[in-house]
Amino acid sequence: MRLTFKFNAMLSLLLALALLLAACSSGGSPERENPTNSEGGDDKPVELVFAFLNVASIFKDLQKVEDEINKITQEKINAKIKLMPIDVAAWTQQTNLILAGSEPLDLIVSSATLNYSSQVAKGQIIALDDLIEQYAPDIKHTMPAEILAGAKLNGVTYGIPSVRDFATDYGYIARKDILDKHNIDLSTVKTFEDLTAIFQILKEKEPDMYPIVQRSQTVTIVTDMFTGYIDGLGNNIGVLNYDDDSTQLFNLFESDIYRKYSELAHEWYKKGFVPPDASTSQESNTAMMRANKAIGYLSNFKPGFENQEKVANGMEMVAVRITEPVSSSSTAASFMISIAKNSKNPEKAMEMINLLYTDKDIVNLLDNGIEGIHYVQAGDGTIKLPDGVTEQTYLATQWMIGNNALAYPWQGTAPDIWDQMKAFNESAKLSKAIGFVFDTTNVKTEVAAVQNVLDEYRPGIESGTLDPSTIADFNKKLKDAGLDTMIAEKQKQLDAWLQTQ
Amino acid sequence: MRSNEMNQTALNIFMVVLTAACLLPFLLLIISSFASEQSIIKLGYTFFPSEYSLEAYKYLWGESSSLLRAYGITILITVIGTSVGLTISALLAYPLSRGVLPFKYFFSFVVFFTLLFNGGLVPTYLVYTEIFHMKNTLLALIIPGLLTNGFFILLIRTYFATSIPVPIIESAYIDGASEYRIFFSIVMPLSLPILATIGLMLTIAYWNDWFNGLIYLTEPRLFSIQNLLNRMLTNIQFLQQNSFAGNNASAIAANLPTNAVRMAMAVIGVVPLLCVYPFFQKYFVKGLVVGAVKG
Repeated sequence: MRLTFKFNAMLSLLLALALLLAACSSGGSPERENPTNSEGGDDKPVELVFAFLNVASIFKDLQKVEDEINKITQEKINAKIKLMPIDVAAWTQQTNLILAGSEPLDLIVSSATLNYSSQVAKGQIIALDDLIEQYAPDIKHTMPAEILAGAKLNGVTYGIPSVRDFATDYGYIARKDILDKHNIDLSTVKTFEDLTAIFQILKEKEPDMYPIVQRSQTVTIVTDMFTGYIDGLGNNIGVLNYDDDSTQLFNLFESDIYRKYSELAHEWYKKGFVPPDASTSQESNTAMMRANKAIGYLSNFKPGFENQEKVANGMEMVAVRITEPVSSSSTAASFMISIAKNSKNPEKAMEMINLLYTDKDIVNLLDNGIEGIHYVQAGDGTIKLPDGVTEQTYLATQWMIGNNALAYPWQGTAPDIWDQMKAFNESAKLSKAIGFVFDTTNVKTEVAAVQNVLDEYRPGIESGTLDPSTIADFNKKLKDAGLDTMIAEKQKQLDAWLQTQ
Repeated sequence: MRSNEMNQTALNIFMVVLTAACLLPFLLLIISSFASEQSIIKLGYTFFPSEYSLEAYKYLWGESSSLLRAYGITILITVIGTSVGLTISALLAYPLSRGVLPFKYFFSFVVFFTLLFNGGLVPTYLVYTEIFHMKNTLLALIIPGLLTNGFFILLIRTYFATSIPVPIIESAYIDGASEYRIFFSIVMPLSLPILATIGLMLTIAYWNDWFNGLIYLTEPRLFSIQNLLNRMLTNIQFLQQNSFAGNNASAIAANLPTNAVRMAMAVIGVVPLLCVYPFFQKYFVKGLVVGAVKG
């Protein structure tokens, strides 16, 4: 009897031990996790963790680059940066979790397309106005005032836009070799309708290729035509024109411009300029170009775009710009840097942001890597891979962080690309609602229902596959789904927003 | 007699169709991984590509340093996770199966409770990262899998309770065997079917796990093969659905792996498991039937 009891006790103990063992096996490498001295004492540098979006970057040498950056920052502001790239795949999940807890995180890339407004609503990122005034007064000289103001939410700055292309124009871009072969001069093209004649020639001369392909199921042929004229205010539900002063929202899908371009796309489709499976194909334009199935596509542009596409497609490209440059309402808030509520040193974090906008060496390290290892000067203000280096070990997605105008352009790009960009940005027609963000909380049901209708009709109509006569049905279903309620709600918010400007 | 034959034929046809429905996608996956990119874009995924190519596998070979590392991580966490998980589960299930354990029902209830309720993602994450500091460690890939297997424990307990006759244990006891001896020399060998079943389930769970990697890891050197694959596919999907990257989208797209490479990655992710499966199969069927019918 006693023996049994002893045995039972031992079993229970074992059981408890098993549970315990599982729960607290040693905590792994703690030195990475330890938040550094938060007081920012005189001798010990503060470590600032910086979470940013990683979209197919190459970060083999991230640690080396980080060490180089830290040499500069330690000297200048007695702080170190810990770079924490997060894949887009994991971004929403991981940043939400980090911001829910108290893990060390100081700087974070924020974006209107990635929860910016909900981060502000939950208090996960902090107000920056006073900090900018005190610790980063130089930032406002790096970008147009409208852009910096355009990132505000309810009159408060929560994010600082990266310096990049703030505007975009639209047009057609195609393979240079094919156009040259058939003596086609794109500069004669003034409207999207003018492209029809060119497509006709291309179709006859190159029967194995499509003169125009769609970029994706959401960036359709028709979208690429109307977006240069229409300010979608975020979601294309309730829109404004760029070239009038009205702030009265209207339904894009009933507008003349939508019908006009849907008809044009349908004409192209019927003539066989567009791949027959355009409304369902998941292939990107780049894949189609590389497979020699496509000659060109409609796209948004910026200075230096041809060179960028040349790299992407692996062939010389030539483009024609059809619309004027415009800056949409979400331009400013599309990529920003914010300070997380987790930060124990918001002041230091702001000083770090200041460096990201003013220190040429830091920006180049972050964007291009270490000089001599990841790039060398090409002599004309541009940079190239060092001789003998075939494999890139560091390549960052540049556009989202800090002042990109300080980064050296790569060879092949115009050395004065950033001057061109500045002129381009300044020439752009600004949205009347720059900085306005539509809060969909009150119309959640409608948003979901309308989205279903959009998913059903848009790929068909906007790739040109469906006859534009379906637009009437499309609109009827949109209205049944609550389109008008959404537009009314947006109008209400827009009016209130305009009052505060 | 005749109708019996007819039935048999109908059943056979049904089974053949069912098997084909399971196997054909695999075949398509493997064929696509050997198709040239041109062929995939022209014809889509097809059983008869116009052109075959080893390009995808060459690309993966070029990436072998990061892929091999991911492979290593996957194998490591699978081996450790499965063996430790199996040990813990058996050690926990055995006492629960014995009538003499004090508070037996309480402990059983605790195990059962975890089947129905859990802390939710955010609290779980906070506990792992802020109390146990498991972020960016391999433990984050192993520990969560060890603790959420109430179902396995109940399966093993039921097997122990119903398939190991108490007289065997008692006779061993009389012969002077210690409890450890009884457990390791008598109970465990008699329980091979259920252990193999649970072992396989754990293996599959660890091999296919990408979620823990998705939330606990930011260091690419710790990514497992499924995590790598999942991130790659989600990245591609994200770029297709969001025009946010605007001007830069195509520059990014150029860095992404091609269709054939995605297929090839899926192939190398799944093949090792396919190779292991047949060895478990005979236990698997038996163990599942035993566990389920008598449970």
